[in-house]
Amino acid sequence: MTFINYVAREINCKLVYYGPGLGGKTTNLQHIYQITNPENKGKMISLATETERTLFFDFLPIDLGQIRGFSMRFHLYTVPGQVFYDASRKLILKGVDGVVFVADSQEERLDANLESLSNLNLNLKEQGFDLNKIPYVLQLNKRDLPNALPAERLKKLLLVKGEPVYEAVAPKGVGVLETLKAAARQVLVELRKSA
Amino acid sequence: MNASNIVLYEAEYQRLKSILVKTQRELGIDLILLIDRDGHQIASEGPAQDIDLTALSSLAAANLAATDGLARLVGEPEFSILYHQGKHRNIHISDVSRRYCLVLVFDEKVSLGLVRLRVKHTTAYLEEVFKLFARKTETKKNAAVPSNSPSPFDFTDEDIDKLFGR
Ligand SMILES: Nc1nc2c(ncn2[C@@H]2O[C@H](COP(=O)(O)OP(=O)(O)O)[C@@H](O)[C@H]2O)c(=O)[nH]1
Ligand SMILES: [Mg+2]
Repeated sequence: MTFINYVAREINCKLVYYGPGLGGKTTNLQHIYQITNPENKGKMISLATETERTLFFDFLPIDLGQIRGFSMRFHLYTVPGQVFYDASRKLILKGVDGVVFVADSQEERLDANLESLSNLNLNLKEQGFDLNKIPYVLQLNKRDLPNALPAERLKKLLLVKGEPVYEAVAPKGVGVLETLKAAARQVLVELRKSA
Repeated sequence: MNASNIVLYEAEYQRLKSILVKTQRELGIDLILLIDRDGHQIASEGPAQDIDLTALSSLAAANLAATDGLARLVGEPEFSILYHQGKHRNIHISDVSRRYCLVLVFDEKVSLGLVRLRVKHTTAYLEEVFKLFARKTETKKNAAVPSNSPSPFDFTDEDIDKLFGR
């Protein structure tokens, strides 16, 4: 849910990066952190295991700039991908304004993508959201790997509703900002509609 | 406006802030912080300038959400208070109206019993303010934005494009 602060002149939105484990969600946030000016970002917090797998979430607050004198602040979260962390994922989806689904393009991860997508649909419903209505962007990540499925094939299988799709290589930053921008745009357009 | 969005105006902020100021002074604590359950900061007071409030807000909200999850697992409707004791600093996190959350940071010189008691009172005051303003917003339904503040929502698609152009 959006927090509109007329006192600090800020609009605060929550964007969640969802998807199968090891798909590149944390890497997306790391890249955004690297390319954002220090004055426009807060500390990046990663609640991870010893082996650097996301345990609870990653959190990165960024300021995208001003519109009409209001700072547009986005709180970016990732969820842990592994199936058994479902309880944590539900918590992170509370009050979400938009979702980025980071799909792993590798052939052997197809089932994991599909499972995660249906898990997203279920968990959103549980929080009172509808995947068909919420701001949503699909990212096809790991396009650089030789075992990546053709993008057209992935789109056929993973597209939910004609959402924007971006091909990405997250560690190189390819497609990362475009994905964020498309998601932020949808959130803001939605906000304008409801205002 | 989406019914679940939280909107904070100056008058409401001043009321909330004065409650926090009073609590902070009376207890002599390092920090008192009011946030929503999604981890957005609303107001704070206290001399602890070393603490990253954005990070604290997000982690406290997540902590409370996780604790709620734990409560449900063992058949409790909620655990409404969380307390973490450190060597020098302690953190007290508690629910306000199921929608907000209060975070207090204090050192070993402050008594936990006193903190608990004061938090009860402070929570009651805060809830009153939230109730009052919820009622006000309802009566003004179509006038959610006061005429003296420009709406931040009449932006164009070009305005959005410019966001990333810096
Ligand atoms: N080759 C390649 N590796 C990637 C890409 N994106 C992420 N990775 C790697 O995949 C691993 C898991 O990424 P991570 O961001 O932790 O996944 P998460 O579980 O979704 O957060 C890391 O070793 C990343 O460096 C990509 O586009 N191409
Ligand atoms: Mg991760």
